[in-house]
Amino acid sequence: MSAEKQVFTLKQVAASIQKTVAERYNRLYWVQAEMHKLNYTNKGHCYPELVQKEDGKIVAEMRGTIWKAQFDKISKSFVEVVKEPLRDGLSLLFQVRISFHPLYGMGLEVVDIDPTYALGELHKEREETLKRLTREGFLNANQQLDFPLLPQRIALISVDSSKGLSDFYSVVLKNSWNYKFFFMLFPAQLNGDLAINSIQQQLRRIEKVKHHFDAVAIIRGGGGEIGMSCYNNYELSKAIATFPLPVLTGIGHSTNITVTEMVAFRNAITPTELADFLLQAFHEFAVPVQEAGRRLRSESRKILQRAEVAWSNEWRVFRNSTIQQLAKTRQGLHAFTKNLLTQTRFRFQQQSGILQRSNESLQKGVRLQKNRELQVLEQMQLRLRKNSLQQLTFQGVQVDDVKHYVHQQVPKFMQQKAQDLAQLEKHIHLMDPMQVLKRGYSMSLLGGKTISSENPVKAGDIIETLTFEQRITSEVIETSPQEKNE
Amino acid sequence: MSESIKYTEAFEELQQIVQEIEEGEISVDELSLKVKRAAELIRICKTKLTSTEEDVNEILKELEGE
Repeated sequence: MSAEKQVFTLKQVAASIQKTVAERYNRLYWVQAEMHKLNYTNKGHCYPELVQKEDGKIVAEMRGTIWKAQFDKISKSFVEVVKEPLRDGLSLLFQVRISFHPLYGMGLEVVDIDPTYALGELHKEREETLKRLTREGFLNANQQLDFPLLPQRIALISVDSSKGLSDFYSVVLKNSWNYKFFFMLFPAQLNGDLAINSIQQQLRRIEKVKHHFDAVAIIRGGGGEIGMSCYNNYELSKAIATFPLPVLTGIGHSTNITVTEMVAFRNAITPTELADFLLQAFHEFAVPVQEAGRRLRSESRKILQRAEVAWSNEWRVFRNSTIQQLAKTRQGLHAFTKNLLTQTRFRFQQQSGILQRSNESLQKGVRLQKNRELQVLEQMQLRLRKNSLQQLTFQGVQVDDVKHYVHQQVPKFMQQKAQDLAQLEKHIHLMDPMQVLKRGYSMSLLGGKTISSENPVKAGDIIETLTFEQRITSEVIETSPQEKNE
Repeated sequence: MSESIKYTEAFEELQQIVQEIEEGEISVDELSLKVKRAAELIRICKTKLTSTEEDVNEILKELEGE
């Protein structure tokens, strides 16, 4: 048994398999597969894994080999057509030779990759992303945000060394209007597969401090046209579409517009254009403000002028109507004065006529009265005279009788009386106080009256004492009652 | 955010004053007040154009604080 036992060396087996495989798969085949782990060896050869997935699960997996010479050729034509580098995760159409290697086993030797197919696949991804965002209602979400009046505080997603960023800065920072911006850089990978996560990561950071910013700007430039398909990625596009701040893109390329750019609030072709957009927003704020000052000045002047004209018109009207009113009043006053004068004169004449007539009739009356009284007087005089004469005649007879009596009696009576009178004179002479004084008596007077019980003297009185030759004035020192010795 | 509201409102109020004055809705008596207010609004807007109060360090501190 053991002698009959045919034993092969591993090398023989491997050689046999290699031969069989080579005979069986004797031509090139086109194979659809997803490429993963496109690792480069230091010699430049690549050994990617080619897989097929069904419902997200790997159902077939084979090792691929791309020799350096092939890889350079394939990669070059791929980039030219697809504008993307060969990278993991792409669904590709490989032209392969199926081979068995004694050391490495079964493998697919990639001799070519169809770039057109890849292009289609990428396009399909873009379409898929668009469709999905549309379906989910995110496509215009960012564009529906309110854009700030002044996009002044900008979170920049870019690469510090990027030419695009320096182009952008040179426009906005050196603006001649002295507009002030605030930029903060959130550095991220902007090309290829890594960009998808890198950008999203920075968006998440910005979202945490979003109250410090007015907008986000993704700025790329100088990186060529390669590696843009990341911007069609669903996750990244959705992150931008649903970002709470407006996202502006300036990722500078000339290929088809990416989904990211489509969903962004505003897409500028280049970073420079993005800078211009920001400055324009500032102008749209600054110009009306500037203009407002100018318009306020000119309108205020107009309003004041209008008011001045209106005022001076009113003044003129007021002045004219005042003058008219004054003239009218003066006229009225003049007419009134004239009328008053006429009336007064008329009344005066009227009254003075009446007065004159009254005067005349008064004089006439007085005259009449006087005459009447004169007549009465004359009659009375006549009567008086007549009566007097009668009286006188009667009295005359009696007078004659009396006359005769008087002639007889009067001389006797007169003689008797003259004797009485002489006797009386003699007595009176003896009674004269001067005669008494002459004999050495004196007489005291108080207040010009003789001193008596009715006119008594008391101490302090001034009395006058008369002698025959002197008038003495003296003050009474004391009085005492006189002792009477009869 | 309050600052942004302030300048936005200032801008809108300014536009409104200009419109009112241009439409002749303002009397001579009001004019002086309105012009004074407008001058203040213009000042706020112009200041906003040429200055910002944001501070990178402050934002970084907030980011680190997460």
